[in-house]
Amino acid sequence: MEKYENDIKLKLNHITKYFPGVVALENVTLELKTGEVHALCGENGAGKSTLMNVLSGNHQPDGGEIILKGQQVVMEDQQVAQQMGIGIVYQERSLVNDLSVAENIYAGNQPTNGWGFINFKKLFAQTRILLEKLGMADIDPTTKLEYLSPGKQQMVEIAKALSQNPEILILDEPTASISETDAKVLFQIIRSLTKEGVAVIYISHRMSEIFQIANRVSVLKDGKYQGTKEVGEIVVDDIIRMMVGRDLVKQDYKSHALDEIVMKVEDFNGPDYLNINFELKKGEILGLAGLVGAGRTELARAIFGMDKKYEGRLFLNQNQVTINHPLEAMNLGIGYLPEHRKEQGLFLEMTVEENIVATNLVVAVENRLLQFSKITEIADAYIQKLGIKTPDSKQKVVNLSGGNQQKIVLAKWLLLNPKVLIVDEPTHGVDVGAKSEIYAILKELTEKGTSIIMISSELPELLSLSDRILVLCNGNMTAELPREKFSEEEIMHYASGTKNMFTSDLTKKGQPISVS
Amino acid sequence: MKLSTKLLQDRVITLSITIAILIIISSIIWPTKFPTFDNLSLVLLNLSIETIVAVGMMILMISGSFDLSVGSVVAFAGGFTGFLMYYFGVFVPVAILAGMGGAIFIGFINGYLVARVGINPLIQTLAMMGIVRGLALMVSGAGIQNFPESFNVIGQTVILGFQTPVWFMLIIVALFSFLVSKTTFFRKYYYIGGNEKAAKLSGIRVEKMKIYSFILISALAGFAGILLSSRLGAAMSTSGQGMELRVITAVILGGASLLGGQGKIVGAMLGTIFMGLISNVMILARVSGYWQQIILGLILILAVVIDIILKKNVGVTPKKYLKKAVE
Amino acid sequence: MKTYKNQLFLIFCTLFTLGLYSCDPSKGAYFKEKKAEEEAAKPVNPDEEYVMITTIVNFPMYVNHDQAAFKKWGKRMGVRTTVLGPSEWDVASQISFIEQVIPSKPAGLLINGTDPAIASAINKAVDAGIPTVVYDSDIVNSKRHAFLGTNWYEIGRMQGETMVELIGGKGKIAYMGIIGLANMEAGFQGLLDVLKNYPEIEVVGKYDDKANVEEAARITSDLISANPDLAGICGFDAMSGPGIGLAVKEAGKVGKIKITTVDTEPEHLKLVRDGVIQTLVGQKRELFTWYGAQFLYDMVHKTNTLSGDDQKAGITNIPFSVNTGLFTIDKTNIELFESPY
Repeated sequence: MEKYENDIKLKLNHITKYFPGVVALENVTLELKTGEVHALCGENGAGKSTLMNVLSGNHQPDGGEIILKGQQVVMEDQQVAQQMGIGIVYQERSLVNDLSVAENIYAGNQPTNGWGFINFKKLFAQTRILLEKLGMADIDPTTKLEYLSPGKQQMVEIAKALSQNPEILILDEPTASISETDAKVLFQIIRSLTKEGVAVIYISHRMSEIFQIANRVSVLKDGKYQGTKEVGEIVVDDIIRMMVGRDLVKQDYKSHALDEIVMKVEDFNGPDYLNINFELKKGEILGLAGLVGAGRTELARAIFGMDKKYEGRLFLNQNQVTINHPLEAMNLGIGYLPEHRKEQGLFLEMTVEENIVATNLVVAVENRLLQFSKITEIADAYIQKLGIKTPDSKQKVVNLSGGNQQKIVLAKWLLLNPKVLIVDEPTHGVDVGAKSEIYAILKELTEKGTSIIMISSELPELLSLSDRILVLCNGNMTAELPREKFSEEEIMHYASGTKNMFTSDLTKKGQPISVS
Repeated sequence: MKLSTKLLQDRVITLSITIAILIIISSIIWPTKFPTFDNLSLVLLNLSIETIVAVGMMILMISGSFDLSVGSVVAFAGGFTGFLMYYFGVFVPVAILAGMGGAIFIGFINGYLVARVGINPLIQTLAMMGIVRGLALMVSGAGIQNFPESFNVIGQTVILGFQTPVWFMLIIVALFSFLVSKTTFFRKYYYIGGNEKAAKLSGIRVEKMKIYSFILISALAGFAGILLSSRLGAAMSTSGQGMELRVITAVILGGASLLGGQGKIVGAMLGTIFMGLISNVMILARVSGYWQQIILGLILILAVVIDIILKKNVGVTPKKYLKKAVE
Repeated sequence: MKTYKNQLFLIFCTLFTLGLYSCDPSKGAYFKEKKAEEEAAKPVNPDEEYVMITTIVNFPMYVNHDQAAFKKWGKRMGVRTTVLGPSEWDVASQISFIEQVIPSKPAGLLINGTDPAIASAINKAVDAGIPTVVYDSDIVNSKRHAFLGTNWYEIGRMQGETMVELIGGKGKIAYMGIIGLANMEAGFQGLLDVLKNYPEIEVVGKYDDKANVEEAARITSDLISANPDLAGICGFDAMSGPGIGLAVKEAGKVGKIKITTVDTEPEHLKLVRDGVIQTLVGQKRELFTWYGAQFLYDMVHKTNTLSGDDQKAGITNIPFSVNTGLFTIDKTNIELFESPY
């Protein structure tokens, strides 16, 4: 028993935190053992971030105590937390694009010479040692950060936290914007850290990751502690039940794809993709798989008229069309739900209703003038239809959770009634409950005849929804898989380039290949 | 959200209340000097020119941009119109059209370079401010007087007790209030200011809209400049100096944010009215000009600070909306 | 016959009344003088307010000369003096100050004549019955009651003549000031009118230093590098002198490039003492506002009356236009100015 107590690195006892008008954390208790990976789950808004902010000294708890290695401590601010050995990697980037990797990692404490100038030689050397130790030797400390891929940037972020030699490392959605291969590297690093006795708090929405990496999992719901479980003793559904308080309806696969071809992409060439050819059928969900940086988003943006392509032809219902601006795409019945909800999809400081009608203000026009009552009417209908949880349609979007925000972006496009809807990472940073609701909405759309192109980095999502999957690797199409050939392993092979269905001699230019 | 906090978040309402309080207090302190028709109509006359520019600035700031060259455009448009009439005897309406045309061209250059080429609006309009001020010096030099009477009547006629600039101001404010709240065209500026990328991805022609907004503010500034020349019966190369910052101050007081996406046209006028009243009160109190700037600066900071505090306290939290959604 | 008598009586009565009337002592010269004395001896109302409206209200030269003399005068006379105006060079704002002061009916208005455009505001004040005096530059097309100032054309001529002497009638000359201001332009004209008589003098340029020391210095150093043989520079605003002086010192050309400029602030005097500036042309700014205020007072108190009713007769009982004249400062008289008060 004594031994067990010694094993506990950190203990949160009955932590309570109030914000004006709301209890963000209520009586939360958490134990963190030496060398364990402790997953923290909960829907968006459940209080995970607040808890992390309490731990890192950004917020002071209104009640309860923090016990670090058997001693009660007060985290006055971030610096104190850092000195006590708590390292944190936030979901938002804290790195500067214009500086080198080394300068980013040692942002606050670069080695200096006697004159107070930065000693770059020493800085680069110590960064190299750190990166080697973490198994990231392929990152050059002198490279400017902006030249690294998002995955590598995430690694730098983690290296930055580890440069302080923390005993406790908090990772907030570390895989949200990196590919699966990068994620694997990350897991290796985490495992080697835990061997050295570092305790890791791992926050993620991705159930598969939790089962891969975590030893124990704790769940929060509406600021309340729901319990802690050994990962070996439970299954995914148990966690989901704790998070949402109910069972999720499993999606049954049913294709709504018809034979009619609505869209055809021929010989698309651009800065980030080469020789792309494919067809899209009416009512079909076409999955676009690939690693981060494979050129999927760039391709989608080119189809939508957001970015320029070098060459290529686009056919809609057999007619060749040219699209130079999103508005033209929209007029032709194409919609695009962007990858980054907050940066590209939403008007955060505007209301729910203003967001919903953003693509199509004309629907609220009567006698050539805008009718605000009509906007509210339309918005209310979509709030109802998509189950958007908001007090009213006049609520600012910034105050809503990720899932509800994503539904609002979706509503915006539904209002347009598109023939083709491109969805880019539709469930990025969305909690499980909202995820399945979004899937249901997409399915319902195809039933009504809309065709969907779905870009996703979550393979399970692609596998369960798509009728067909295209795989891109470094801007090249490497596979087109019908549903019966779906398998995670296969897709990963094509995505990483170890396999290619279309070697150059097999590909005939201008001939879209259909495998069905 | 309580009704009271909601009202306090609306700058149009808080500013109206502040103005009312200011008027009541001033009427008590100077019962014979302040609340007279003479005095108040003069206050309106003196803020009318800046209000016309502020309307354009409000639209620009709603779209998340601003224009520092407006003061120079005011001087240039008035000067160019005067230049044509005085030196070349150009027919008054033609001279006015030419002045407006010049202003619109400047606005187009600003808009094109900001929207299409991608120059930061601060840098672009700062550069334009200098260029246009130079042009204004070229056309009006040491100042031009003795305009045709048919030109002077535009800004010097008194209708129902108010001089024409006041009427022009009211018409422009009313017109743009209506347009901005009731047409899809102007509504799009809120989206552009709210999130430019999302606006483009929502099918708004952001670049074109931006060019239009710069043209609009330049046109309004040009009109204001011509009106000012007519009202004074003179064109000065120094007129409108520092106007850009006064107008931006008024527009921010009136509810705009530097980040864009916020503000109402009426707010722009309330902002200039508030500043005009402060200036009038200072004159009645015989306080020197620099105090006026100190006080306006303090009021601006105070207004923004109060705004931040109000917004912090009413943030809707997950628990709250979940409860409401369940109900 | 009887009627004739009655008529005579009537005529007599009329004559008598007329005689009596003409004997009214108030019509006598003695009474008039006495009344004026009484008026002067009467204690003035301390609430009687004289308002000065200028622009760049905190400009050191205005504060140290114009406003100081005006306030000193107010103290001496026991009346209230107020200085109002915008803190930058903003004529439109000065106009709005004038217009907004009118409804509060000050006893008199003393206005810095910054730009012809203020004429209509001045007219409004005059129409409202407020004695209005303009100083510094005249607003010719206005109904102002009096003007005190210097002739800017003369300032230009004086600088021109001095400069010709300093450089021996030949060489390259540049000049700067605030381009676009009416009084400056008149000064530039005066300078050019003198220089055009000397074919060996070449004018290399007219520059706008925006009344800014750094700007004046920058222009000067550019000028020196473009024209190493520059012979002289003339400055026309208060900041020209310090700016030109600074750049000439930095270029090591003290004494080689002759400088004439306006105004007599301490920094100007120091530059004369150091031999950087050769000649300063000074305006008697204190006299503008002291006598300007005095004129207003005399108008309000009808110190001198020229008719039975000056207003009805269309007479303004103060001078129409006063030229306070100029003075020059150079090495020979500098110590007299270094501690003037």
